[in-house]
Amino acid sequence: MPVTLVHPGTENVPQAATPPPRLPSLAGKKVGLLDISKPGGSFFLDRLEQLLRTRYQAAEVVRVKKPTYTKNAPPAVVEQLRGMDAVIEALAD
Amino acid sequence: MKMSLPQEAPAIPGYQPGKKALLVFFETDCPTCQLALPYLNALDGSRAQVIGLSQDDEARTQDFVRQLAIAYSVVVDRGLQLSRAYDPQSVPAVFLLDEQGQAVKSLVGFDKNGLNELAVGLGHAPIAPADDGAPAWKPGCGSRHLEPHDEGTSADDGGPGPLLRRIAQPAQRITLGEDEDPVEFCYRRFGDALPVVPPTAEKVAAMLQACSLSPDNIVARVPPCYGEATVEKIAANAVMAGCRPEMMRVLLPLVRAVCDERFNAHGVQATTHFAAPLIMINGPVRGELGFWSRQNVFSNVARANSTLGRALQLILLNIGGGRPDGIDMSALGNSGKFSFCIAENEEENPWEPLHVDRGMSRQQSALSLFAAEPPRGISEHTAQRAETVLRAVCHALATVWSYRMCGKAEAVVILCPEHVKTIHRDGFSKSQVRQFLFENTGVPVRHYKPADGGEGTQLVSQYREVTIQGERCYQKFSSPEAIHLLVAGGTAGKFSAVLGSWAIGPTGSQMVTYSIPDR
Repeated sequence: MPVTLVHPGTENVPQAATPPPRLPSLAGKKVGLLDISKPGGSFFLDRLEQLLRTRYQAAEVVRVKKPTYTKNAPPAVVEQLRGMDAVIEALAD
Repeated sequence: MKMSLPQEAPAIPGYQPGKKALLVFFETDCPTCQLALPYLNALDGSRAQVIGLSQDDEARTQDFVRQLAIAYSVVVDRGLQLSRAYDPQSVPAVFLLDEQGQAVKSLVGFDKNGLNELAVGLGHAPIAPADDGAPAWKPGCGSRHLEPHDEGTSADDGGPGPLLRRIAQPAQRITLGEDEDPVEFCYRRFGDALPVVPPTAEKVAAMLQACSLSPDNIVARVPPCYGEATVEKIAANAVMAGCRPEMMRVLLPLVRAVCDERFNAHGVQATTHFAAPLIMINGPVRGELGFWSRQNVFSNVARANSTLGRALQLILLNIGGGRPDGIDMSALGNSGKFSFCIAENEEENPWEPLHVDRGMSRQQSALSLFAAEPPRGISEHTAQRAETVLRAVCHALATVWSYRMCGKAEAVVILCPEHVKTIHRDGFSKSQVRQFLFENTGVPVRHYKPADGGEGTQLVSQYREVTIQGERCYQKFSSPEAIHLLVAGGTAGKFSAVLGSWAIGPTGSQMVTYSIPDR
């Protein structure tokens, strides 16, 4: 007698998103830096911003911060990153 | 559901004080409500006043009353205020109020035996014949107030929320080949690294029989992957964990609690920290279902504790997707992620139990959830006075999160019965214990010098300086409310414990307490 089980897990299959093509260069690009609000994040992002502007000639660096690292970024925060050519999300600690 | 009402409970339209009343919560499109409500016509004019409380708008309610020839008074529960006050998990839900307006009995779903007992209790003949063609029992639908995402026709005047579905497709059936071992199959696909009981269709059906909601109702969406926790899938995980069917009445509010945004399971399940959801059970359900609160309370004594805790973890894994080899990034983990469920030893507690602190009545069964570190023990066998015992607790409390980090954590303090005896004998009330722990837990300022950049030292400017036993200290906690107290454990051995929190407050995880419906 075959055994029939009730599927106990989620049956939603996540759709894999294709990453956008890698930028050939950051020169003249708009780059968003997302600070997730962990202590020390600003040290890392300050240095990164400096490098993006001086070494990589980024045209614009937009700094955005999540209200808390413990939750998803709210839509308003994500919206601020719309139109960026690239976004770097920074963990810290 | 709540059996005693808060003081601010809204007025019941048409209610006659001094007389017994039956409050009947219903939804117009619920097939079980459509079946059940006409039976109560027979009780109108009996010793109890019958009042129907519709969770839908006026037009639908009037249509319902007309089509089903409801003879008793029916009003719309505007803003779902009464639904929120009485908090039925599902509808139909009938509450019997005594002459003082206190809810003394409740009934959910359609249940002929329950209806007949209710009628006889009111001095009336039975109202639901066994042979009238209706089933003896039929589960209802989720109460509207628990589903804020209405489609614009509910009585909730909060306006339509996001259109999220409340009903899901039945869970997929998996038929195994003749040669497949069900235990090994489940271990590979759905386990927690221990063997599970295969959730066969028969075992899941037995679990659903004990439940007042339809199998396809979505109880919550479980973070971090937000899988739909239908009643059926919750039941399947309960089977795998080894739960008995009657545990469903605890599991449904537990799944709601863990998905409560205040608890923030999204963060708790994904953090690199140690946190795991600690379940704390209070009230009569402890005796009814066999929850253990005495010696070895954190261990493997009782089936109820072990299987409920494990069922929650399996739900978080299988429906929520918080796998310990994937999204759950805890650096060291927590053995509580197999099962983490205790009950309060209310019999050895001379004060109010935890759920009363949290706003429930003592007679109400309840569960509380706290994102907890593993317990750290406090051995104090030589103290003769309450103050000495409590100072030992303060020393342990000073170490939660990180010794020099202040104001950023909460803690659950579990006092063992022997310590409680000493503390109570010396005249401490529960609030005085909390206040003492708050005022006397600190980290000496001298431990921050010389500044070495260690965790907690960078936030000193935010700390509050106090003097504890003549020593300048930074106060460890932001308020007495950051310290949650309960009594648990065996009556021999002077061992208490402290459990630290994960990130706290609205940007972290907040303790949540949910009522557990009566049998």
